[in-house]
Amino acid sequence: MASRIYEWLDSRLKLKPVKETLLDEPIPGGASWIYVFGSATLFLFSLQAITGMFLAVYYAPTPDHAYDSIRYIETQVLFGAFVRGLHHWGASAMVVAIGLHMLQVFLYGAYKPPREAMWIVGVLLLLLTMGFAFTGYLLPWDQNAYWATQVGINMVGSVPFVGTFLVKVMRGGDMLGVLTLSRFFAVHVLFLPAGIMVLVALHMFILRRVGPAGPWAGAFERRGKRGDPSMRQAAPEEGSPPGERRAHRSEPFYPRQVFMDAVVMLGVFAVVATLALTIAFPLTDKANPSDHSFIPVPEWYFLFYYQFLKYMEGPILGPIATWVIPALFIGLLLALPFLDPSKDRAPSSRRAVLGLGAFFLAGVFALVGLSLHDLQAMKRTDPAVASGNALYERFGCAGCHRIHGTGGAVGPDLSYVGDNRDRDWLIRHFRDPQSTSPGSIMPKFNLDEQQLSDLTVYMLSLKKRA
Amino acid sequence: MRGDAMEKSGDQAPDGARRSFFAWLIMASAGLIGISLAVPLGGYVVSPALKRREKSWVDAGPVADLPLGEPTQRDLVMTLADGYREIAAAKGIWALRRETNEVTVYSPICTHLGCGYRWDGAEKKFKCPCHGSMFDIEGKVVGGPAPRPLDRLPVKIENGRLMVKYEEFKSGTKEQVEI
Repeated sequence: MASRIYEWLDSRLKLKPVKETLLDEPIPGGASWIYVFGSATLFLFSLQAITGMFLAVYYAPTPDHAYDSIRYIETQVLFGAFVRGLHHWGASAMVVAIGLHMLQVFLYGAYKPPREAMWIVGVLLLLLTMGFAFTGYLLPWDQNAYWATQVGINMVGSVPFVGTFLVKVMRGGDMLGVLTLSRFFAVHVLFLPAGIMVLVALHMFILRRVGPAGPWAGAFERRGKRGDPSMRQAAPEEGSPPGERRAHRSEPFYPRQVFMDAVVMLGVFAVVATLALTIAFPLTDKANPSDHSFIPVPEWYFLFYYQFLKYMEGPILGPIATWVIPALFIGLLLALPFLDPSKDRAPSSRRAVLGLGAFFLAGVFALVGLSLHDLQAMKRTDPAVASGNALYERFGCAGCHRIHGTGGAVGPDLSYVGDNRDRDWLIRHFRDPQSTSPGSIMPKFNLDEQQLSDLTVYMLSLKKRA
Repeated sequence: MRGDAMEKSGDQAPDGARRSFFAWLIMASAGLIGISLAVPLGGYVVSPALKRREKSWVDAGPVADLPLGEPTQRDLVMTLADGYREIAAAKGIWALRRETNEVTVYSPICTHLGCGYRWDGAEKKFKCPCHGSMFDIEGKVVGGPAPRPLDRLPVKIENGRLMVKYEEFKSGTKEQVEI
């Protein structure tokens, strides 16, 4: 049936050359699992596009309704939490896929001539992806979204001369509010998707015109078994760079590379779907512009930079970190093919560049590690927990109770009290300890309703796993 | 697509069986992703359509204030869940108190095409201004294009107060179909 439909279409649309163009692109050195990251990125982008369209079915981009509409998706819509989870974890997975894709291109020297344009378009795609991450983060309009975006926008303000102006343009005025949300929404769902589709098309166009780089010279012989019938001898291409102008084995894109790409896509989808099903991504409280005590934490992929900013304070180091270094880094990425133009792609002759890359990666991972360490030490607390904690100090509860090794041993250890007691029990207990624990020597503290509630929230926050 | 179909079109593969095996695996992966997405996304879009409106009894004021034998409009003020928002809605129902102190409440929507009708005290008829449908005091059609009598709403009297459950029905049909 399918083949008859194909034949019917083919006799009219002349599909054969199209099919050959799509499927028979030669892969120098043969298909390999190392080439899957570009396809994985494209797959994840498609997943983001699809889930994003569906989220837009319910989402309302105004401060009055944004938070409630997301909460509606989370709690009322069938599979709503799953769809939002796919979009959330899909974004993280896309960052991972892009990182691995860039790493592979970097290691293989695939940015070198004649593929400079493909690399530059790739860097622009990376910037657009970061634009997606930044604009998408504000949309749920919860505390974290609001304050993280506030920080992000303020960083732009450190750019000399035009910083203040840029900040106003991004916000659409003097404050982060209704105009900011609608322009972030428009950029996230209309402008950036249009831009990224054009650049993805350009990226693929260049790939098909220049061809994939394949393994570096000298590595060809090791790839692919001799006599493998799916491999064919490729004639040296006219116009291919001297380093590559040698006969090497190549294999058409279809079926083995397509198969590898498909398997990886399925695997990536399985991972993202599992994360979406198992790890909830709850909203924090609705954005409250007057609550300056909230400490936002960025997504994990910005943590290295977040940590870096902590070390770069002051009137000189600050702006260096907030715009000089990012600008230099983007400039360096864009200029990489011209700074390292030799056509030799073998790692052995590129030690300096690879060393620089390794140094950068080591730095990033070290900063992520430090940041995670700091975050664990400084638990993010909501104001109620903080004020409950303050009450615990003020009333000298630590005289009898112990939390994580600090305090007396007269009363029960409270390190994980949140796992054992519920809200009602705790409130009754604080009102009258003997009512819930007959024979307890705990005195009755005269707490008002607010204090009761805060102390209870603090107790409930003491859990083995937050 | 079946394996043999792929084999026929796979004119380049030196070994047809392996090639069609790959084709089958590629299709299976794509199909698995497609189905795992299509089912939740379908449910996601459709789910609010399947939800029934929650109905509750709404206070329509004291029964004693209703004149005997004369239909009177009362505002039913209620909170409706409109997706993720709650909206206050006022529906002007028509209430008729009888000698027996029983109360009949009519939905304020004409059964023809959904306009709001009025009680004409002089002619003792409900008249719809849109297309001229007319109903008598019992809601029976006495003129115009209306296909069925006025819709009655569930009523109860609690502590002397009129309680009404607001419902909406499809207009233009002979049978009463709740929406």
